[in-house]
Amino acid sequence: MTEVLDRRTTAQPPRFGQLFGRLLLAGVIAGTLAGVYSLLVTERAIAPALELEEARAAAEGAGQEHAEELFSRTEQLVGGFLGTVLAGVVLAVVFAAVYGMVRHRLPGRNDVARVALLAAVGFGVLALLPALKIPANPPAVGDAATVGTRTAIYGGVLLCGVVGAMLVAALVSWLRSRGTGDAATALMAAVATAVLLAAVMVFVPDNPDTIAADVPAAVVWDFRLASLGQLAVLWAALGLAGGWLVDRLTRPSAALS
Amino acid sequence: MTSSPHALSAAGRHRIAVPAWAWALALLGLFGLYLIAQDNGAVLASLGDTAHELFHDARHSLGMPCH
Repeated sequence: MTEVLDRRTTAQPPRFGQLFGRLLLAGVIAGTLAGVYSLLVTERAIAPALELEEARAAAEGAGQEHAEELFSRTEQLVGGFLGTVLAGVVLAVVFAAVYGMVRHRLPGRNDVARVALLAAVGFGVLALLPALKIPANPPAVGDAATVGTRTAIYGGVLLCGVVGAMLVAALVSWLRSRGTGDAATALMAAVATAVLLAAVMVFVPDNPDTIAADVPAAVVWDFRLASLGQLAVLWAALGLAGGWLVDRLTRPSAALS
Repeated sequence: MTSSPHALSAAGRHRIAVPAWAWALALLGLFGLYLIAQDNGAVLASLGDTAHELFHDARHSLGMPCH
């Protein structure tokens, strides 16, 4: 009797509503941690860029009236934190739907491994790939005239990444269905990933902006690394907190066995 | 036929039914995020500007392109 009960708890998938609630909570945790990271690290990298913008404005029009700033810096810090939390929540909502769809196909012994794997793919596709192709820039760098083009490139890179990840996943399932060994499958998947990455780097147009001569390279790169670190915190926390929370839902309880 | 406990897990776990509202909510969330992050007055007019300025740092630090 206990055996039957136990088998049932392992075999039955969780209801989506339960999964959704736990991943949403993980999204709030991840967004909050990334928000704290942004206040401690990223904002420190943004500050010199803002000083540069102010110095430029002062040099340009000493006599001109400056447009009133809509928000004070403190308000913008709060907004930056809230925006990051919001991004974490939205990410978790999308992540929950995708995880529900692919969970039965993901390898991994338990939900910790599976959620972490999907989060790692998410980080690679939605954070690392755009960071390689169209790296984040601090204020004082972007050209307002090219923002449409840059947004299109950014969106295109995200789309390429999602399609590429699906292609690699399809390749892996095809190889597995043919009985190819694990090592050979991993090697082929790595080669396919490298080819797809190279294709994106070569064929997607580059950021059209040139970085102005008065912006030191250190200002740009400190910011880019801080931004990538913040995204890493976001995805790692989503994967680990989400995996732990979902696993507690699906783990066959000790009381039954 | 003997049913081993492994039959279910090895052949693939059961699919989870993802309800339509989950996808609708995901799309709505992404669209909302796009609006407050990218919209420079195109759809939301002056409200978009306000959101843009308030979430200015989040947009930069999450790696999205900006003016």
